[in-house]
Amino acid sequence: MIAHAFFFYFFSIMAIFSALMVIASRNTVNSVFFLILDFISVGCLFIMVGAEFIGMILLIVYVGAVAVLFLFVVMMLNVAQQKQSWFIGKKATHIPSGLLVGLLIFLELLVVVGGWQYKDNLMSSSTLIINEQISNTHQLGNVLYTEYFLYFQLSGIILLLAMIGAIILTFRKRDNVKTQSYLKQISRDRSSSVILEEVKFNKGVKVDD
Amino acid sequence: MINLNIIAPEIFLFLSIATLLMIGVFKQNSYSLILNLSFLSLIGTGFLIFLNFGVNEILLESFISDPLSSFSKILISLSCLFVLFSSQRFVKDKNISKFEYPIIILLSVLGMFFMVSSNDLILFYLGLELQSLSLYILASFDRKNIKSAESGIKYFVLSALSSGLLLYGCSLLYGFTGSTNFELIKNSLNSGNIGAVFAMVFILVGLAFKISAVPFHMWTPDVYEGAPTSITSFFAIVPKVAGLVALIRFMDSPFKNILEEWQIIIIFISVASMILGAVAAIGQKNIKRLMAYSSIGHIGYILAGVATGTNSGYSSSLIYMSIYAVMNLGAFSCIYLMKKNGEYVEEISNLSGISKDRPVLAISFLIIFFSLAGIPPLGGFFAKFYVFMSVIESKMYVLATIGLLTTVISAFYYLKIIKTIYFDGNKFKLDDSKSLSVNGTLFMSCFILITFFLYPSILNSLIYNLFG
Repeated sequence: MIAHAFFFYFFSIMAIFSALMVIASRNTVNSVFFLILDFISVGCLFIMVGAEFIGMILLIVYVGAVAVLFLFVVMMLNVAQQKQSWFIGKKATHIPSGLLVGLLIFLELLVVVGGWQYKDNLMSSSTLIINEQISNTHQLGNVLYTEYFLYFQLSGIILLLAMIGAIILTFRKRDNVKTQSYLKQISRDRSSSVILEEVKFNKGVKVDD
Repeated sequence: MINLNIIAPEIFLFLSIATLLMIGVFKQNSYSLILNLSFLSLIGTGFLIFLNFGVNEILLESFISDPLSSFSKILISLSCLFVLFSSQRFVKDKNISKFEYPIIILLSVLGMFFMVSSNDLILFYLGLELQSLSLYILASFDRKNIKSAESGIKYFVLSALSSGLLLYGCSLLYGFTGSTNFELIKNSLNSGNIGAVFAMVFILVGLAFKISAVPFHMWTPDVYEGAPTSITSFFAIVPKVAGLVALIRFMDSPFKNILEEWQIIIIFISVASMILGAVAAIGQKNIKRLMAYSSIGHIGYILAGVATGTNSGYSSSLIYMSIYAVMNLGAFSCIYLMKKNGEYVEEISNLSGISKDRPVLAISFLIIFFSLAGIPPLGGFFAKFYVFMSVIESKMYVLATIGLLTTVISAFYYLKIIKTIYFDGNKFKLDDSKSLSVNGTLFMSCFILITFFLYPSILNSLIYNLFG
């Protein structure tokens, strides 16, 4: 039990700390790394409450794809250093406006959470029959490939289409690419590849390259 | 054991798409082969649809196959077949004849199939995404043309936004009714459930965007103008059928008990679309932009049928949609023939006085644009006639009056083009075209529009029976 509490507080503190560092860090690349750390900590928290599927998906999708994409974008756009100042001359930078928006969102969250009322006839999780012996992923797999196989296949077709589309819209044939042909290389002989030429003094020879 | 026969058309279509993709990858310059094979797979899919015409629900009742879905699937495959068929020449000339082109169109058709036979919010959304993702790619298919790229980006951003709204509505609906299944939603929905009514508005916004109804039409003229004409004709016909059928299914199944709430929204959207479609098209000089505004106006009339909330209203909108598809196929075939010195032109002024040396093209323009304007005895008149009949039956006289007035206004710009063709001086000479596919589609479209009045009951009785 103590170990459980220890891990919970450890991952929670890591999550909050790295979330703070995402916005506090001056170097944008570092921010993205902290974002990844944040995702990993939250993923671990999910695994701790027994939702191992969501935790793993968080790792695969957010860390594996989204955060790495962010990293590429940040590196390509060359916005490594952020200037942190409240005002440049008389113009406000993004810090005051960001604080304002943050404050507004915080107030809205207060209103939402404060005014939250559960609907009395809402299906509560205790009425669901959960088989403790089978893991989440196993449960999902049981229905995903049987009853819901059509959705699964259709999602696959959509991904296939996205792939075809990306290739069509970006692929272009290059003409001046040098490719290797083993047959050509093997079948070369002396007569087709070597020429003897009389080199004139002070002129040189023109060799086509 | 699941009876997979019910979903056989979709399975067949996907398997043929996968096969075509493999052929395209391993065979060089296989555009023509793949195009012909995709005709075959569409025809095969059509036959499989004919095989099961009863009402069946499978996979936890998420997939429904009923007469409505079967009819709309056949309409979708037929119109897609003709769009592909008539645009062959254009695609070759414009140098966008990559083998992926028919494959992506088929994938979008697959998405539409799932849209029209979904009985569940998740399946509906997945079908919609498959459909619109293909449309984004198709809009920017001519990527070297800056306008095409622009239209792709514009459509992508706006459509993603509307998909987000729709998804928000879906999640709200799930939260307030406790199910994603249409039947279960219908049973637990009543007008006292304010949250669900709120969700209905979001879903309507998303659907109205997909069928480009005012006030969610902003993307239409730019995308229609920028995309290659073959894609524009696809945009103008096929996704609209799927969007309309999905809308009818939403209104008829999950939202049936809150008719008063959605009716007023649909009436507003319908009136706004009719007015904007009639007024904004007057000043257009580009024929593709004109067709965009014209399609917005037609969607207004179609929604007037949906707004009645009765079976006869839904049938009249489906009849309108079928005739609209035929008219637009013809209109875009005419646009393919607007070719000057080997270049495709889009300005209406290029049509000036072509009746002298291209009498057949001129008479086709006359038939199709008269039909679009709703002049008897052509097909377009009957389409409007049935819609207004069902609107008047439901005692919505204001809607009918506005519809009739906007019909008169919109007749102005259709007739203006006819006037340009027949009475203006002949300044330009369009190239002769011997393309069998374009002329054949044009002939078929004109033939159906002219002879529709002989036996209108063929289509009518078929569609009225869909709603039992």
